[in-house]
Amino acid sequence: MAKTKVKVHRSAMAKREERWAWLFIAPPFIGFMLFMAYPIVFALVASTSKWTGVNSLLGNIVGLRNYIKIFSDAKFWKSMATTIIYMIGIPIGMILGMTIAMGLNRKIPGKRALTTMYYVPVVSSLVAVSILWAWVFNYDYGLLNGIYKFLTGAHGPNWLGDEHMVKISMIIFMVWKGLGGTVILYLAGLQNIPRDYYEAAMIDGANGWDKFRNITLPLLSPVTFYVLITSLIGGFQVFVEVQVMTPNGGPNYSSATVVFYLFEKAFTNGQLGYGSAVAVILAIIIFIITAFNFWGQDKWVKTID
Amino acid sequence: MKKRFLSIILASCMSIGLLAGCATTTVEEAGEAAPADAPAATETAAETTDSTTSETLSGEGDQTIHVFLYMQEHEKDIYQKLIDEFVEEHKDQVKEVVFEVTTQDEYNQKMIANMTANDMPDVFYVGPAAVRSYVDNGYVLPLDDYVDADTIGKIWGTTQEIYRYDGTNIGSGSLYAFPKDLSCFAFAYNQDLFDEAGLDYPDPNKPYTYEEFEEVCKALTKDTDGDGEVDQWGVACADQWGMTPILYSNGVKFLNEDMTKVNVANNPQLTEALTFYTDLTRNGLTPSVEQDTALGGYQRWLDGQVAFYACGTWDVAAFMDPNTFPYKWNLCGWPVGPSGDGRSHTWMGSVGYAVSATTEYPDLCAELVAKLSTDEDGQRAVSGITTGASIQLPNIVDLAYGEFKDAVADGTVPYASDVDVIFGYFDNNDHYAAALQEMDYTYNSEWFTPFWSGVFNIKNGDIEVQDYLNQVEPEMQELLDEAIELQNSATK
Repeated sequence: MAKTKVKVHRSAMAKREERWAWLFIAPPFIGFMLFMAYPIVFALVASTSKWTGVNSLLGNIVGLRNYIKIFSDAKFWKSMATTIIYMIGIPIGMILGMTIAMGLNRKIPGKRALTTMYYVPVVSSLVAVSILWAWVFNYDYGLLNGIYKFLTGAHGPNWLGDEHMVKISMIIFMVWKGLGGTVILYLAGLQNIPRDYYEAAMIDGANGWDKFRNITLPLLSPVTFYVLITSLIGGFQVFVEVQVMTPNGGPNYSSATVVFYLFEKAFTNGQLGYGSAVAVILAIIIFIITAFNFWGQDKWVKTID
Repeated sequence: MKKRFLSIILASCMSIGLLAGCATTTVEEAGEAAPADAPAATETAAETTDSTTSETLSGEGDQTIHVFLYMQEHEKDIYQKLIDEFVEEHKDQVKEVVFEVTTQDEYNQKMIANMTANDMPDVFYVGPAAVRSYVDNGYVLPLDDYVDADTIGKIWGTTQEIYRYDGTNIGSGSLYAFPKDLSCFAFAYNQDLFDEAGLDYPDPNKPYTYEEFEEVCKALTKDTDGDGEVDQWGVACADQWGMTPILYSNGVKFLNEDMTKVNVANNPQLTEALTFYTDLTRNGLTPSVEQDTALGGYQRWLDGQVAFYACGTWDVAAFMDPNTFPYKWNLCGWPVGPSGDGRSHTWMGSVGYAVSATTEYPDLCAELVAKLSTDEDGQRAVSGITTGASIQLPNIVDLAYGEFKDAVADGTVPYASDVDVIFGYFDNNDHYAAALQEMDYTYNSEWFTPFWSGVFNIKNGDIEVQDYLNQVEPEMQELLDEAIELQNSATK
């Protein structure tokens, strides 16, 4: 009798707990459905239509026509190429970031101040620092050309107004903007490497390079992997700095990225269907590259375990 | 295996983040720097608010009207006052008028969001290019039945044509919007620089020919500080806005009559005009392409570095403000090419107030837009009669020719004395003519972008005019075809 009572009691509690469990699951689940699943499905449907935002979405379904068109769309490929060229900044940022982190990983005076300085661009508004850098890069009045003229007496390059130079300028900006984040991550990674590894290596007679090559680099590989993945994804999504520094996409569209093109198509020219198709293609590319990276990580990412 | 599965899940999450993210973050971020549809916005950006503001006014009735517009801060004060008056006049019916103002950059995106969510404001803007698609898709209410013919008859004929649509053609049929403004892009010169050079001012009744203009520009281009570098130029033009009046003044049209075919490769008038225009830069009479990237023409004009620059009707208040522009200046016509109709041409612009087709209170809303557009005190304020700062001509024709011109003549409105140049453009008289641009009649203006955005290559000497025109036509045609297709797409 008592047993049954206990049993009933338990099941009520279990039920209550289950309800609570559902309640806890609900916010992220609803959030995911509302803000992820629904927009994705919407974008997928929109990408097969001539939707303009004004006209009927479902009345203008054209199948895969947008996708077919994208493959022969010169501006899309140009912006894709530019996006990929900008990624030259990723290894540069990683090497610089690792070097600076190793420098900061010693007992040096002003370490905190330096770390803060490197991190300031990361927490600054992207729009604000882009406006600032547009002035740094200014052909006649910019800081860079001011220094250049002071040193050489000649007029410096047209940082944002030249088709090739503008890409270099953007890469410089992106490296500067992202450096702080990379430094902090590497610094954390370095501090996680146990001292005894280095001591053991020293006893074995390893020099500085050996230690870097065989201890630091491999044990930083998870950080490197993380930085690589996030930079690649971020690299495909570059938009704001291009929009602010070169509002028309640069001379002969030379600074425009895929997301810039997508935005221009969708919101300036009212082709939301086509813009959605560009977004879907971009997502697929990012998926493939990210999946490839995860697949390949066994080959080079080492952990202490 | 498990790890690989995990990898794929992680990778999916990351790319999904992008797909969902694109729709949200870019919209917000872009508002801060998106290219504006009109130069008015870029040049006076400093005065616009950064974010959306909305104010609520209370009456005693039960009807709530949602007004959603973009405008500058000082304009907002003027319209706020009109809306306050409106609530006061209708306080037995109206509970509140929610007056939401955003930036021009963000406006379109927010409107698309409203349309997608089927949550339209009661009163909103419609531009000339959007009239057809807004009407075809049932977003806007025809206003003829709600506003009396006298009120409609008060506004400029041009604005009546822009916002009339009969289901096939613009210019006839029902009126779908009342103008917020009708602007035109006139030309201006710095009198101080003319005085220094000892030149006669341009004749407001006889715009320069191309040749005369080039000669004057030569005389005004010089090295003022003697350092061996030119630092004062005859003219500066933004290719997107200031090039077309010079081309139009040589009879140029970019499209054929029914606006289905791009006509630039085989267009002698265009070749001639574009050669003239780009030669101005090639011959050093404008800042070079490189110099232009460092500091735009507008800034150089304000700094007194260029003798001629464009002056939109919205610019007048700024140019009359000695803190902004400490020079004497006046209006003149754009130079006239040899192959046009002998008149100086420029483009006009407008945006109109429309009433949502789904509004619960069509009468009230129609009355409100008529008031915003044609209230005499409101028009006195925006044209500068009562405020001293003119950002547009009055929408009411009689007010423009009467009180406004008198106020300019007696100095009540600080204005360039040759205001008749602007009236000339509005009137299409013997010397001047103005019209909406062809882009205002096509679904979007994307087809024109490759044209203006590549002109700097000619100025740089990287390509010759005819080669450029041959090269750009197919791309323009393709984009025009797309625009036509979207215009004719299935409606809601």
